[in-house]
Amino acid sequence: MAVNNHERSQMIWESFADEFDQCIKCGLCQATCPVCKELLLEKYTPRGKIQLTRYYCRGDLELSEHFRDIFAKCLLCGVCSVTCPSGVDLRSVFTGMREELTKKQGVHPKARPAVTSLMEHHNLSGEDNEERGDWRDDIKDTPGHRYEWEKARVVYFVGCVASFFPMVQEIPRKLVQILDSAGVDFTILAGEEWCCGFPLIGAGSPQQMVEAMKHNLEKVRAAGARRIVFSCPSCLKTWKEHYETDLELFHSSEFIRELIAGGDISLGPLDTRVTYHDPCDLGRNGGIYDAPRQILEAIPGVTLVELEKNRAQSVCCGGGGNLEMVAPELSIRIAGKKMEEIQRTGADTVVTSCQQCVRTIKGMVRREKAKFEVTDITGLVFRSMSLARTDDRPGRDHQTYESM
Amino acid sequence: MISTSIRRQFRSIVGEDWFLETPEDLATYSYDAFLQEFKPDGVMVPGNIDQISKIMDIASKEKINIIPRGAGTNICGSSVARKGGMMMAFHRLNRILEIDHESMCAVVQPGVVNADLQKEVEKQGLMYPPDPASLFVSTIGGNVALNAGGPRGVKYGVTRDYLLGLEVVLPSGEVVRTGGKALKSVSGYDLTRLMCGSEGTLGIFTEIILRLVPLPPAKATLQAIFSDLDDAATTVSAIIGSGIVPTTLELIDRVVLEVIRDYGGAQFPEGAEALLLIEVDGEKEVVEGQGERIEQFCRKRGAVSVERASSPEKAEKLWQARRSAFGAVAGLRPNCIVEDATVPVKRLPGMIRKIVEISEKYTLKIGVLAHAGDGNLHPLIMTDLRDKEEMARIDKAVEELFEAAISMGGTLSGEHGIGIAKDRFMSMEFSERAIELMRGIKRVFDPNNILNPGSFL
Repeated sequence: MAVNNHERSQMIWESFADEFDQCIKCGLCQATCPVCKELLLEKYTPRGKIQLTRYYCRGDLELSEHFRDIFAKCLLCGVCSVTCPSGVDLRSVFTGMREELTKKQGVHPKARPAVTSLMEHHNLSGEDNEERGDWRDDIKDTPGHRYEWEKARVVYFVGCVASFFPMVQEIPRKLVQILDSAGVDFTILAGEEWCCGFPLIGAGSPQQMVEAMKHNLEKVRAAGARRIVFSCPSCLKTWKEHYETDLELFHSSEFIRELIAGGDISLGPLDTRVTYHDPCDLGRNGGIYDAPRQILEAIPGVTLVELEKNRAQSVCCGGGGNLEMVAPELSIRIAGKKMEEIQRTGADTVVTSCQQCVRTIKGMVRREKAKFEVTDITGLVFRSMSLARTDDRPGRDHQTYESM
Repeated sequence: MISTSIRRQFRSIVGEDWFLETPEDLATYSYDAFLQEFKPDGVMVPGNIDQISKIMDIASKEKINIIPRGAGTNICGSSVARKGGMMMAFHRLNRILEIDHESMCAVVQPGVVNADLQKEVEKQGLMYPPDPASLFVSTIGGNVALNAGGPRGVKYGVTRDYLLGLEVVLPSGEVVRTGGKALKSVSGYDLTRLMCGSEGTLGIFTEIILRLVPLPPAKATLQAIFSDLDDAATTVSAIIGSGIVPTTLELIDRVVLEVIRDYGGAQFPEGAEALLLIEVDGEKEVVEGQGERIEQFCRKRGAVSVERASSPEKAEKLWQARRSAFGAVAGLRPNCIVEDATVPVKRLPGMIRKIVEISEKYTLKIGVLAHAGDGNLHPLIMTDLRDKEEMARIDKAVEELFEAAISMGGTLSGEHGIGIAKDRFMSMEFSERAIELMRGIKRVFDPNNILNPGSFL
């Protein structure tokens, strides 16, 4: 068989065959794919990529630089998978093909710096991992413990992007204060937190995650925690899918919702009209749609206007799938479309639940000088808490918010 | 083979970025939504009419096949390079040029996506009625080439009924205009409508003028379930015969209902043999009255359950079964062949019984979805292409199916086209003389036979 002649892994063939045999080539996936709407050509459509995979597995196509480039131009947002009438799991085929490409050709040159940094420094940014907790320096009146305890019931896993990128460091800064004022017994791992490994999946190199998984699990265990809170949907998803653990894993929106329900947080009124952007890895790929919406509902004075495409149909902000590393221009074009969709709602603020979405959309707003605010849901909750009546407020001084 | 020098000429016409010949491009332009695949010699994505005209001039002189392709969603193989040649894709010609509210028409480029046009005209209180299932992806150029229909066809007809005029590049590279914005025209032969449904064999559309209608202000949506197929069929006749013209009148048979139920799509009463989805549109008061009358028709003719949607959300819920039908059926076996035989409305029950008979005779699993209001059946044959023995049985079954449809005064294809999928059956529907007339028309337009050769003629 051609497959053997070309020394193609039988495993790849078998794991994909079910998927591309299921593809009826109807092409309906083109309706929702943000990438092919920009690039137009058939090879960039989800259908095209599925067919390329089939041709490759059959031995009719070689893996070329161009082949790799095509598969790199994908957000791994998964909207094709929910659009497909035949139920083809396109997203896993695309992730699998990236893995195959990396195995045969090495990591994509433009993703190499990130992968190297991950292996050497245990984070995406290339900085010393000891600096992972430096975002705390900008919290006024940081308590002496700096949110780091030897033992705690809950670990807050901050994630690389929120730890190192100034544009979104307000997310951990606010979440630790929310947790603190709600009396949650939690700790961060600071320099002992390692990248969860998510970027390695996108770079087609998931086998390199093993060490990080072991390390992170060990650190959580050492803290004696049973629960982990994530503000990054992709870290959460990676833990759920790749870390074999019985620990309870929560997204910050789920955790905050519980705190609100339990009366541990008091919310003050915010007179604002917001729209909500479902992050791909939290919503469509993680199944969490309601928690953030329930929080918005709980904040007095907040009116939610849904985006044209929401929940499972949500359109990626452009920040997914390592696209920003390999094709920044394309990522920006897609972010531009997201911005327009947000503007059409007439909302003052777009709320989301992912630091990467905040970064991408905020970048676009700055570039285009758009007139709406971009915030993670923690930011909105924090602001609302700071406006709660003082006697209701269990937490810290109003000044903390004002000074941030 | 196309020489390097000709390739160079094509490349210089469309520009480096839009002349494609990598193995990846050839692979991804080797298919549409039909089964068979043919790798083209290259792909061109022209950006304007001049480029197309220049390309065709060279192609006709050098006798190079050109295959026009929209979004590649047709299911009859009418946009594949069966005899080799260059694909011509219209991704870049995707602008709505004009929406003329006073003349109730729109002028568009061929690469405009059907749903994008619908959305734009709806903003102005207008509607473009043809709504093929591929509407979120398929292009107007492709819709015209295939004379696409859709569920709204019962009341509104098909693409041909909305086509007013065309700008066409002929295989020679010359440009002609046919029709125009006038709603009536009897001048000469109707070249516009001849182009419609020509499956890319006569000319390349570069500008398309489409008729629009007022967007109806209200809709009523009903779902009726029958425990007897004949009751459902007589209900269809009763509705059509009563003077009510529904927008949509869809039928789903037992086989498909069972698949939908197992798929988790919806629940139906025990013993359900057929489901009718009926929609009427128009002025609110009229639509409400019609909705009530249809409900009575259904109940009187033995429907075991009738639901009338009280809100757009509820209507959407009723549509769910129909919308999930194809996916559910397609997911059951590796492949699903969709047929398109169409009969006069009153022959619909007979045709459905015939399909059941054929599926038993050849031990095949065939479900039926039908645009019942216009007699357009979509038998869904669930199969696995790798099963050669079953495929042989399907071949025979399909042939018998078409023979039955033709003998009832029907046609091979209601809305999907002939392409390379059904060309071998053409002689069932047309006499040799009629086919020769078609070939003659083809020769007049395309003496060198370079435009989508190997398609239905």
